[in-house]
Amino acid sequence: MLQSIVSYGLAVGAVYALIGITYNVMFSASRVFSFTAGMLGMLGGVLGALFIQHWGMNAILGFVLVLACGAALGLVTEILTVRPVLKSVEQHLYVLSTLAFALMIQQVTAIYWGTEAQPFPTLIPIDPGSMLDVVDQKFWLPLLACFVTIGGLEFLYRKTLIGRAFLAIAEDSYAARALGLPETRLRMASYALAGMIGALAGFTGAQMLLAYFGNQAILNFFGFIPVALGGMGSNRGAVIGGLALGLFQQAANFLVGGIFAAVAVFAVFIVVLLLRPEGLAGAAAARRV
Amino acid sequence: MSITRRKVLAGSAVSAAALTANFPAPAIANTDPIRIGYLPALTGPSSSTGIGINRGTQLAVELINKEGGIKGRKIELISRDTQSDPTKAVNAVAELTQRAKAAMIWGPLNSGEALAATPLIARDKVPMLHPCWVDSLIDVKKYPMSFRQAPTNTQVGKGANHYVVNVLKLKKVAVVSDTTGYGTDSANTYVPMLKQMGADVVYTNHVDAANPDLKPELLRMQSAGAQAIMPWSVNAGFLSRILNTRGDMNWDVPVVGQTTLGSGQTKALLTKPEYWNKVYSNNFRNCCYVNGKLSPRAQEFVDRLKAAKIEFGDTLLWWVALGWDGAMMMGEVLKAVGPKNTDIVAYMNKVKDWPGIYGTVTWTPEQHNGFPDQEVVMCEVNSLKDGAFNLAPGYSA
Repeated sequence: MLQSIVSYGLAVGAVYALIGITYNVMFSASRVFSFTAGMLGMLGGVLGALFIQHWGMNAILGFVLVLACGAALGLVTEILTVRPVLKSVEQHLYVLSTLAFALMIQQVTAIYWGTEAQPFPTLIPIDPGSMLDVVDQKFWLPLLACFVTIGGLEFLYRKTLIGRAFLAIAEDSYAARALGLPETRLRMASYALAGMIGALAGFTGAQMLLAYFGNQAILNFFGFIPVALGGMGSNRGAVIGGLALGLFQQAANFLVGGIFAAVAVFAVFIVVLLLRPEGLAGAAAARRV
Repeated sequence: MSITRRKVLAGSAVSAAALTANFPAPAIANTDPIRIGYLPALTGPSSSTGIGINRGTQLAVELINKEGGIKGRKIELISRDTQSDPTKAVNAVAELTQRAKAAMIWGPLNSGEALAATPLIARDKVPMLHPCWVDSLIDVKKYPMSFRQAPTNTQVGKGANHYVVNVLKLKKVAVVSDTTGYGTDSANTYVPMLKQMGADVVYTNHVDAANPDLKPELLRMQSAGAQAIMPWSVNAGFLSRILNTRGDMNWDVPVVGQTTLGSGQTKALLTKPEYWNKVYSNNFRNCCYVNGKLSPRAQEFVDRLKAAKIEFGDTLLWWVALGWDGAMMMGEVLKAVGPKNTDIVAYMNKVKDWPGIYGTVTWTPEQHNGFPDQEVVMCEVNSLKDGAFNLAPGYSA
């Protein structure tokens, strides 16, 4: 039981964490909470299965193409659904525009891909019984992707000039623009990066979650919880929140089961937010007086 | 008495009327086609059933027309693809019943569309035949012109319960469903039926179909002593996860349930092919192999399909047979009584033991559910050959 809770819990939690990071990367660049994160995750699985399983592509080529598609969709999201509503961000029109775009893509996926879950190929051929087969790759792949992503983002944001520029526009876009930073291009780059991370989440988690159009809603919702738990904009918080959510969800599956597991997850989520509205790793917002 | 022009004209008119009154109408046969409105879902997410049924329907209509039609009148099948969308089905109903003046409606072929379309077809007083399973679609008071030639959901559940309790003689049963309306409703209906039959339902639960790990559920079923698992869901992902988990646990408990258990989508999601062993899904006696053979009327139908080069290896025999039966039934009714709605209903109310390929049909004025309980059986899902399955073990031939 413990093995199942840990393996499944951490793997699903890593997928949630990656979707949470996707939300954060888009939010940091634009102050917009884009509900396309789940869509990117869903497409990571569907496109991966399409390229590798259906079209017979090499797994590496398929993976690169999936990331490229994720980046392209991130750019389209920024151009079509975020940029037009940025001027009136306080009216929260982005909720409508991003959600509508995500639903449209989901419907197109349902029509062309189908509404049934489809298998996702085993990415790394491992001999049964070998040392590497001790833990199934469907469990360690999302975890590996999560740690590589958080490591890469930490490096990007702290050690590179472009990363610092990202942080600058996240902190104060007016000041950053005044300093001559190309805000629009940096925002587009952020959305492309978020697109790749979302697609990576879906791609690495698809052996477990299958290539299924319905994953969009689940990832949108359960990917949001780590952000709320960890604090908006905090990637480390999203990772901790995501892994904790996965473990708790899986433990609830074992202990109470059925639909009550979901109830338990939501109950804890609400209690945490009541106690710490800014999230576990977030700082309380200062109020100007 | 003077003869006026007015009197001559009046007299001529009376004479002409008297002469023509006793003459029979000229015997000019009506050769206009008889229109049947047809509502299949040929595209969209629920189209696999419609595509299969359509092959049988088209073949039957072709044959009826080739053999002279309905007393010299051809059948014109006016087909409107509902695209698996109830809204489109509703729009098509208005067109077929009011503008095209269809004599009968065949379909919709999916329950979701039938739920939306049936009240409208009933309102327009057009006789309707459909193969959908949702119980509430037949109600002789609300929809007196609606007839079903397939089993109801209750019959489908009863067939599965009968197999577990009376054929396999297993008493401890775990019933699990997904959280959809279909899943919860089915489980909530079938559990009391199982208990009534003397079964001990040792575990029951509704589970989120998206849950990637169903091991906790199966462990609970196992520790409760379940001898059979009955999952109620049309979600291939959910069903395949149950089968994969059962296989990974090396638990050889039989899994008995809905037709999706035997679908290609479920098979494609299995980790190992042998995880499809000891899985039994709903099917229909006349379209199953018994000792490797189909019934004579089903075999004759298969031979006809092969001769007509109708592909059925990529679909299910019972879907194609259902389409054939629907069109043949309507052809027979129209031949017998013509296209008047009340005559059609009066004739259909008296249909008894009509030998379809898919199943035997009997209707009465009080009962428009025409499929017999004993023809709802279970089949071995891993035995698919030419669109048909082996009858599950334990039934008497």
